[in-house]
Amino acid sequence: MTVDMLHLLHQALFGAVAASGFGVLFNFSWRDLPWCAASGALALTTRTIAQDAGWNLEAATFAAAAAVGCGGRLLHARLGITSNALAVAGCIPMVPGMFAAQTVFGLLALTAPQPGNPSELAVTTMEFALRVIFTTGAIGAGLSIVAHILRGSDSWRRVR
Amino acid sequence: MNIPDGTKVTDPVLLNDPELEQIAMATLLIGRLLMESGARAQVVHEDCSVVAHGFGADHVDLRSGYASVDITVSRGASTITRTMEVGPHGVDHRLSHAIRDLVRRIQLGNLTPPEALAQATRLKRDTPHFVPWLVALAAGIACAAFGRLLGLDWPGFLPVAAAGAIGQAVRQVMLGRGVNVFVIAACIAFLSSSLGGLGAGWAGSATVNLAMIASVLMLVPGVPALNAQSDIMEGHPTLGTARGVCVIMLLMFIAIGVLLAQVLLGVQP
Repeated sequence: MTVDMLHLLHQALFGAVAASGFGVLFNFSWRDLPWCAASGALALTTRTIAQDAGWNLEAATFAAAAAVGCGGRLLHARLGITSNALAVAGCIPMVPGMFAAQTVFGLLALTAPQPGNPSELAVTTMEFALRVIFTTGAIGAGLSIVAHILRGSDSWRRVR
Repeated sequence: MNIPDGTKVTDPVLLNDPELEQIAMATLLIGRLLMESGARAQVVHEDCSVVAHGFGADHVDLRSGYASVDITVSRGASTITRTMEVGPHGVDHRLSHAIRDLVRRIQLGNLTPPEALAQATRLKRDTPHFVPWLVALAAGIACAAFGRLLGLDWPGFLPVAAAGAIGQAVRQVMLGRGVNVFVIAACIAFLSSSLGGLGAGWAGSATVNLAMIASVLMLVPGVPALNAQSDIMEGHPTLGTARGVCVIMLLMFIAIGVLLAQVLLGVQP
């Protein structure tokens, strides 16, 4: 496995910037914004390393979401009950918004009066749609599985 | 209690256990605020259960829909059911955190239902937010950073940041005026995408198409998409499905806005 360190740093940096930007949008406190950045950096670092190791996007995204979920849980004592929200903020830069837009563009192009090469267009659109579903699913599954396995620290909320 | 002065109370439950009404309403308000601030259904259900039991209820049943929450609270022989509308679903981490802190204090027995109602109302009103220009700037920078992760070239970076920031600023104005969120999504997608595309083209970017999409990424409903999935996984498929449909609708409106901008600028999708 070869890791391009410059590319890795680039992904980590912009993952951190994107996550902290969304942190402001989601009204995280100033105290939590650096943790949003750290969460985004961890997510993109993990995903990039996994992709460099030959994993596909969905598997790499799952690993990244699980890593961020674990990181949030490890910092639970320090951060209080914000750990799950921080993990979500860190995963936002991995949400496949562009693939989702491309899917809708593809569907609209398919319904045009005279679509050029409709078979190829249909396959490409289907590929984008599946990427959206599987990548979003990978993020949700990565976060949920970790949250459910390491759920003990939330016992103060379980009264029944 | 929500009974006007001078009204004759005939409901046997309210006569026998007048506090039950306050328990139900305080619990519902907390559930509503959690939903409006972006909490998962499981969190809403668990925290509402904690609140109602913390106030002395013996049994609590909660149903969370996309537009309302219903609760049935029992204590002794008395049982009441109440419902409350839920407003627009957003993401407000500080409010969510403050409400959950309030839930913890209720569990410790430090608050009565009227005090909890007053504090929850005050939290909704007084929870601090970033100034609008900072939110707009942060959204713009986040879009540009997101764009870099997708392959946006450097000449397109600043135009995307500016387009995203302008779009977010206009979005806040439209939200403040109560415009429909789907209409906002389409309008802001068109505006930001056009500005991002024009700016990136003017700056000599080779990734104008990507710049047009990156400029609207602050509109992508990432948290609702993840909440939809979590809700379905955690046994709340009705709310999860409703959230999922709203996510798909929002994506459609965003894509239509970007598509119109691409037609306007003559950019091939």
